[in-house]
Amino acid sequence: MLLDFDKLGAWKWVLSAICAVMALFLLLPILFIVALSFGSSRWLIFPPPGWTLKWYEDLFADPRWIGAALTSAKIGVIVMVLSVALGLLASLALVRGTFRGRAVLRAFFLTPMILPVIIVAVALYAAFLRLGLNGTLPGFVIAHLIVALPFAIITISGALETFDPAIEDAAILCGASPWEARFRVTLPGIRHGLFSAAIFSFLISWDEVVLAIFMASPSLQTLPVKVWTTLRQDLTPVIAAASTLLVALTVLLMLVAAVFRKGKSE
Amino acid sequence: MTAPFLQIDGIRKVYGPVVATDRVDLTIAEGEFMTFLGPSGSGKSTTLYILAGFQDPTAGDIRLRGQSILRTPSHKRNIGMVFQRYTLFPHLSVGENVAFPLRVRRMGQSEIATKVKRALSLVRLDGFEDRMPAKMSGGQQQRVALARALVYDPPVLLMDEPLSALDKKLREEIQHEIRRIHQETGVTILYVTHDQEEALRLSDRIAIFNHGRIEQVGTGPQLYADPATHFVADFIGDSAFLPGRLESVAGDRAALRFADGTLAAAVPLHGQGQVGQTAELMLRPERIELSPEAGPEGASLPVTVEDMTFLGNNTTVTVRTGWGGVLTVRLNFGHPLTGRLARGDRLHIRWSPDAAHAFGRG
Repeated sequence: MLLDFDKLGAWKWVLSAICAVMALFLLLPILFIVALSFGSSRWLIFPPPGWTLKWYEDLFADPRWIGAALTSAKIGVIVMVLSVALGLLASLALVRGTFRGRAVLRAFFLTPMILPVIIVAVALYAAFLRLGLNGTLPGFVIAHLIVALPFAIITISGALETFDPAIEDAAILCGASPWEARFRVTLPGIRHGLFSAAIFSFLISWDEVVLAIFMASPSLQTLPVKVWTTLRQDLTPVIAAASTLLVALTVLLMLVAAVFRKGKSE
Repeated sequence: MTAPFLQIDGIRKVYGPVVATDRVDLTIAEGEFMTFLGPSGSGKSTTLYILAGFQDPTAGDIRLRGQSILRTPSHKRNIGMVFQRYTLFPHLSVGENVAFPLRVRRMGQSEIATKVKRALSLVRLDGFEDRMPAKMSGGQQQRVALARALVYDPPVLLMDEPLSALDKKLREEIQHEIRRIHQETGVTILYVTHDQEEALRLSDRIAIFNHGRIEQVGTGPQLYADPATHFVADFIGDSAFLPGRLESVAGDRAALRFADGTLAAAVPLHGQGQVGQTAELMLRPERIELSPEAGPEGASLPVTVEDMTFLGNNTTVTVRTGWGGVLTVRLNFGHPLTGRLARGDRLHIRWSPDAAHAFGRG
């Protein structure tokens, strides 16, 4: 190999140091929050003068926090299901279709990824005002689906591109109708892609805050919105506890996704 | 008269400006092993894909036992196929792969088990039911694919260069297996390949494809001994082509005069040819005799030895003609000239007029 890490000599240590600093830079704020959520200080002093689980008790005792978490989970699951279903259909068309303008359509599907979220949020808010969808569950779901779908399309298209269409052809000659072949052969063949798409779609909805702030009503808000509004009212370590739980679920799902990917490569 | 088993009738396929196949006509008997041989892009795979129903022809018809199959969708044609690429379903075990065609046909559990066992036994993979495709070699995977394509007893089995991804030794081993399976099952096989050796080894008959057309259909020996066109002569076996001018044409025989003034007389003429036009004389290396003495007038040519290569059972000798043309001659081991040739030796090549062929232009 041209750049062999083991043959870099002293540079090896420099590169390792840069990597370590980068990792700390990315992780420290999160570790900081986690530490604060267990700290006994009311005023988020670091390092914490002592350790306690009080803020977690407060969190679980407050029905508003529980409600927000459940709302987040509910929206996340619905977004996940719809995003995978629509992403699959879109990917089948984009990867297996032969119609003109596929590249343009693909780029169009991916625009929510590059468009500033705040612009999507303002536009949706204006549109939903007329439709009466602001502050409703469908409003939340549609808003999050818009930002989750590009990721689902990218992941599922990627899996579909590596799945040889000749395998589907073989299933059809074996006597399966085209749709039966897709369901019994292609879908199980790209299940890793579907699973990744599901996890990412859920996570995008789970920690999305900009769109959620626009969609939220006093009676319906997601966990990130609850963190945000609580933060503006008073600075309590309960926020750190809630944030820690948000991060924990995210990390857990990422780990599951990683394990799944590893299983695939074996 | 009963209808032929499988009839390909004037199949033409056009993609925009590209003509993939242009009037392909072929009749295949039940139980026959027919190979489509030709270079890539010659229309052999297109014809196979039209048979499979993955493509619709622009014109023409395909009839199985007298019934057109073109209106039947692929999954109802009941045709078996082994593909060039590995197409086992990656999430299913070997047993479930082979069972798949039976499951979609809603066959009973015990019947499926019996048939899967028999199909795996046919390809000599008994006991591999629980193996996953990813844990098998390429050769094993293609054998499972073969079992999967045969388990529902299709009347016709299509094979699209199934061995091209395998190495030479394994390829020969599986060719042997395919022949045995063909004999045991009696299934009609249409086999696509660009490898002439594979075609000769496997087939009852071979259809030579070129530029979307079938140039000639025949058994291996027929094609080798009596090629109808320059392309077939060139594609099957090694051959030397010596350019000359037609001196006389009488019926299907012609005489050619070469640039050095020698004459090749009474050679079978293929294709169009008129006196005075250029034509080529084709000779098979093993049908050419190398000798110190000239042969009879019209079947002999003076040459100079250019190079010799000893290859064990034969010695390949490269010789140059009077006008600078180069051709190779094969001397079997034990030939009196073996080991006694030197570069620059002046000798003669001789041939029997029936072993030579003249090909006119066009």
